[in-house]
Amino acid sequence: MGTMRSRIVSSLLLAAAAVSSFAAQAEDVKRGGTLVFARPEEPLTFNPYVPADNGSIYAIVQVCDSLILADDTGLGIRPGLAESWEVSADGLTYTFALRDAKFSDGAALTAADVVFSLQTAGGPTAAYAFGFEPIQSVEAVDDRHVKVVLKRPYTPLISVLSLFAAAIVQKAAYEADSDAFGQKPVCTGPFKVEEYSRGSRVVLVRNEHYWDKGVDGQPLPYLDRIEMLYVPESNARVLGLRSGDYDVIAIVPFNQARQLEGDSEVTVEARPIYRLDYVYLNHSKAPLDKKEIRLALNYAADREAILNTVYFGYGEIPNSYMPKVNYHSEAVEKIPYDIEKAKELVAAAGYDGTPIDVMFSTGDAPAKQIATILQQSWQAAGLNANIVEFEGGTAWDMTTKGEYQAYVSYITSDINDTDELAVIEADINSGTNAFFTWYNNPDVIDMLAKARQSPDPAERAEIYAKVQNTVYHDGYSVPLNFLPSINAHRNYVHGWRVVANGWWWLKDVWVDK
Amino acid sequence: MAILEYIVGRILQMVPVLFGVSLVAFLCIHLVPGDPVQIMMHGRATPEVLATVRAELGLDQPLPEQYLRFIGGAIVGDLGKSIIQKAPVNEIIGERLGPSLFLLVYSAVLAVLFALPLAVVAALRAERLIDHSIRILGVVGFAMPPFWIGLLLMVLFGLVLNWFPISGYGDSFVEHLWHLFLPSVTIAVFLAPLLVQSLRSAMLDVMTADYIEVARAKGLSRRRIVVKHVLRNAAIPVVTVLAVNIGWLLGGAVIVEYVFAFPGLGSLLVRAVGFRDYPVIQGLTLVFAVIVMIINLLADLSYMAIDRRVLRR
Repeated sequence: MGTMRSRIVSSLLLAAAAVSSFAAQAEDVKRGGTLVFARPEEPLTFNPYVPADNGSIYAIVQVCDSLILADDTGLGIRPGLAESWEVSADGLTYTFALRDAKFSDGAALTAADVVFSLQTAGGPTAAYAFGFEPIQSVEAVDDRHVKVVLKRPYTPLISVLSLFAAAIVQKAAYEADSDAFGQKPVCTGPFKVEEYSRGSRVVLVRNEHYWDKGVDGQPLPYLDRIEMLYVPESNARVLGLRSGDYDVIAIVPFNQARQLEGDSEVTVEARPIYRLDYVYLNHSKAPLDKKEIRLALNYAADREAILNTVYFGYGEIPNSYMPKVNYHSEAVEKIPYDIEKAKELVAAAGYDGTPIDVMFSTGDAPAKQIATILQQSWQAAGLNANIVEFEGGTAWDMTTKGEYQAYVSYITSDINDTDELAVIEADINSGTNAFFTWYNNPDVIDMLAKARQSPDPAERAEIYAKVQNTVYHDGYSVPLNFLPSINAHRNYVHGWRVVANGWWWLKDVWVDK
Repeated sequence: MAILEYIVGRILQMVPVLFGVSLVAFLCIHLVPGDPVQIMMHGRATPEVLATVRAELGLDQPLPEQYLRFIGGAIVGDLGKSIIQKAPVNEIIGERLGPSLFLLVYSAVLAVLFALPLAVVAALRAERLIDHSIRILGVVGFAMPPFWIGLLLMVLFGLVLNWFPISGYGDSFVEHLWHLFLPSVTIAVFLAPLLVQSLRSAMLDVMTADYIEVARAKGLSRRRIVVKHVLRNAAIPVVTVLAVNIGWLLGGAVIVEYVFAFPGLGSLLVRAVGFRDYPVIQGLTLVFAVIVMIINLLADLSYMAIDRRVLRR
């Protein structure tokens, strides 16, 4: 039994074809300059092992590389600080050959940095430690090679290693003071932090030592400098883009996107990301413990009306309980809008008319509108609902403790492998009680365990399609919309795009003012 | 000497008030449901990880112990460390204190500059067309949501005329004045009508007083009477209105801060509450309490400067 010497590089690039359409011609690219970028969130820390907020995550990926990286679209992956890797025949040992890369302070990347980083990422206080649980040990083979040994086969490992939470940090700098590291990280990414003014802006400048090359054969990134501004008010972002104060703005509200599309100096883009807006259902609370009632809520949900009035037509009516990640199946049949069918189910369940509390967080205007539309369309099927409003932190507390019935919210995936959310959402033993639904289906749990151990993509696709069909038709939740991310930039900004994980690769952006 | 004694007395009175404020703030925020660790991890972490992080932050200890730890630190000037931002609370608040105070003072100065001439004209021409017009203008300015005024100003001066920046703080004093002009005007539009109303009615009261009649009888010029006697005596209620509103605006300028992407204390508090970042909330409450008390003290001292009789009372 030797090792399976398979250099897994291009075979894993699931959407490589899509990349070429974005690629700029070498002669077009203009280097240098500053990008002014207004965002609704701000980074709270650059320490990759602490946060779970997008404000931080989307900034960390510009500064810190992982062994594996999301590709240009985010749908697939590509080698990052690991140039190549080998998997043993039993699927338990992964050996990574490290790239000849340098940290932003000029020091060389070593195996010790990688071992330290991955151990910290899976440590007892790391937010994303669950993804590293199957790892038995991480050790340096020599100065250029790192070995990851697993407790059991775990195919999503490569995708997990592409997480921001698996970022490779400089051991010495992190160990010296992890709080200081959170303000001024030392990583190998395309940019480094020059200024971090909490509450207003972060200034990123190019990392002179970055390893990757642009389409013109010169080192990335193209930009010299990025001013990442924190502008929480959406009207202010839109006005700033139109006045030319900002070059790019993240998150254009649906009601302003159509209007902004009329501005000839601005490009508005809506791109699919790994996000699903849905109504969480608590299966441990009557009457939601009955499958008939949960399905009736689905049949009676007027999703078309929600898509058109709340989302201004942006998005797609879902056929799944989770976002469209790599093993999403289009074949799963959608639950149609059918009031008669819903009425039958309500009658079959022996529903006594007790109202269901539908919760939304204060300030979440779309969720409030959704709750109102659902209340009306459920009423038509004989299902009564009360709309209840709680402040965000309180609503989340009630959700995690199971003190709610239905909650209008959403979920996003951080990696391009179905495993993360499939397990979090549908496996009651995964630590979050099936993402606070208390959904418990032993068949699904068995299938998920099998899928994460299978090295065969075809077999995994088949299992996940079955899981998707089962969980969705069990009335796991009331899925509402595969919501895209809407962003806008001035026309002189090139190479800008949102990747499926929700962020953007600023290393590919250049400006031609 | 009497003034010094008075100031020291007032400062000593602050101590029990601060203890009271810190205790109430601590209890309130801990009684509200919500767990900073669960919010920070956003549902991804297992119960074991949550418990470890809580223990590391000392959130698993009994409440009295947590309070004593906080108050012990606060006495020596250490407000602890932010749960979410992993930085000292002193630093986080300190960074925003300067800009917030600058915005407040700037808005107050602009409000007084708007209000003074309007109130004088309204009082001298009471119940005439110009008085009614100023009152209607004031009602409109006061009633318009700051959110809306801010956006209108941004569209006009930022987008159409391009005279002022629509966000940011700038790096020098002059840049601060330039960057904060629109947000300050937004606050002043809301604040000035309050000042106009109180100054106008105070002036009307004073103008019918006997000593004004005497001054008139002595043949003093109208200008001298208004500036030297009427305005001076009418100023005290205006200072009170200004002080109360400035204290409130310190944390209450959130909407203006959001619209102009301004890094102030109000938006910091809103976010800290959203994340249940206990040390930041507690620290901010103490800082607000101290500043409000200082503003009130300054207001009282300014009464004395305006009218020496206050000291004797």
